[in-house]
Amino acid sequence: MGSLPAQEAQEVQWVERAQRGDREAFGLLVECYQRRVMSQVFRLVRRRDEAEDLAQEVFIKAFRAIRSYNFRSPFGAWLSRVAVNHCYDYLRKERASRISYHWQMAEESVRRIEAQAENPQGSRLDPEQQAALRDFVGKLLDRAPAEDRVVLGLKELEGLSVEEIAEILKLNRSTVKVRLHRARKRMLEDLKRWREGR
Amino acid sequence: MRCEEMRRMILEDWPEEGPAAVREHVAGCAECRAYVRDFGVLRVGFRALAAEPVPEPSWGFATRVLRRLEETRDEVSVEFLERAGRRVVYATCVLALTLLLALALPSSGPLRGPTTAELYLAQAEEVTAGSIPIFTGELPSNNGATPVAPQNSGTGKKP
Repeated sequence: MGSLPAQEAQEVQWVERAQRGDREAFGLLVECYQRRVMSQVFRLVRRRDEAEDLAQEVFIKAFRAIRSYNFRSPFGAWLSRVAVNHCYDYLRKERASRISYHWQMAEESVRRIEAQAENPQGSRLDPEQQAALRDFVGKLLDRAPAEDRVVLGLKELEGLSVEEIAEILKLNRSTVKVRLHRARKRMLEDLKRWREGR
Repeated sequence: MRCEEMRRMILEDWPEEGPAAVREHVAGCAECRAYVRDFGVLRVGFRALAAEPVPEPSWGFATRVLRRLEETRDEVSVEFLERAGRRVVYATCVLALTLLLALALPSSGPLRGPTTAELYLAQAEEVTAGSIPIFTGELPSNNGATPVAPQNSGTGKKP
């Protein structure tokens, strides 16, 4: 039970040493948070091939900015903010060069997915249909603006609460709610367009 | 319940299953039924995406971060030196150009008054023109005891 405060104290010590330029201490922080940062970056960017590079860049940015960390929030939350901002910048740049197209899905898969959506307790999707659905919603997400992707990624994929998102994005709760509302609406409109053009 | 109100509720709360009022409305409104179905597709899709396995950082991730930090530090210092060097070169060029322009421009012109050097030279010429020549003819050999006074040509007398 007493290990958590000890762990926190250890972390504070590493952060303080890293703030004085100690790279070894920063390396220990990287070891601690690498999985979490990698997961966050992957969920927001959805690029398996780039996730590791981006995660490394997040840590490099964090090391350069670590003196600005003032211990008011947990180090993990501060690091998440660095990661989210980095992903947001990446998505904004990437969007300009992204080819935008709708994913084609087999009629049978669409029918099964819709049936599953209408009745979650009904027949389960097989792994192939699950993969098709993942690709489909992933493509819809790819087409969304960077702001929508970040807020939806944090809420729907990372499973964070509105309060946690507000803390990471330095926004108030109502702004986060408005952004979520807008992002979901835009995705639904895009889905409708896909349905009409099918 | 109106369609707009129902859609706003769905978008804000994203509920798994709407309250009774929503269900009643959806049962009688084909457009809202399609809306709820699409919303359901997205919800199921997001769930599938969230369940997707996340890639693990490869072995030696922290070491590579530290190495990249070292590299970027070197890059930063090289970049700083390059930038500083470039500035020195630019400043030298500007200074040289200014000096060249100062030398190449004509010394007189409609907007330029006489320079200090010109004034000094003009003054010196004036002084020389108005004075009596110091040395005329041969120097007398008086062993340098007293300075030789200049010949007074105004008297007209000879010794």
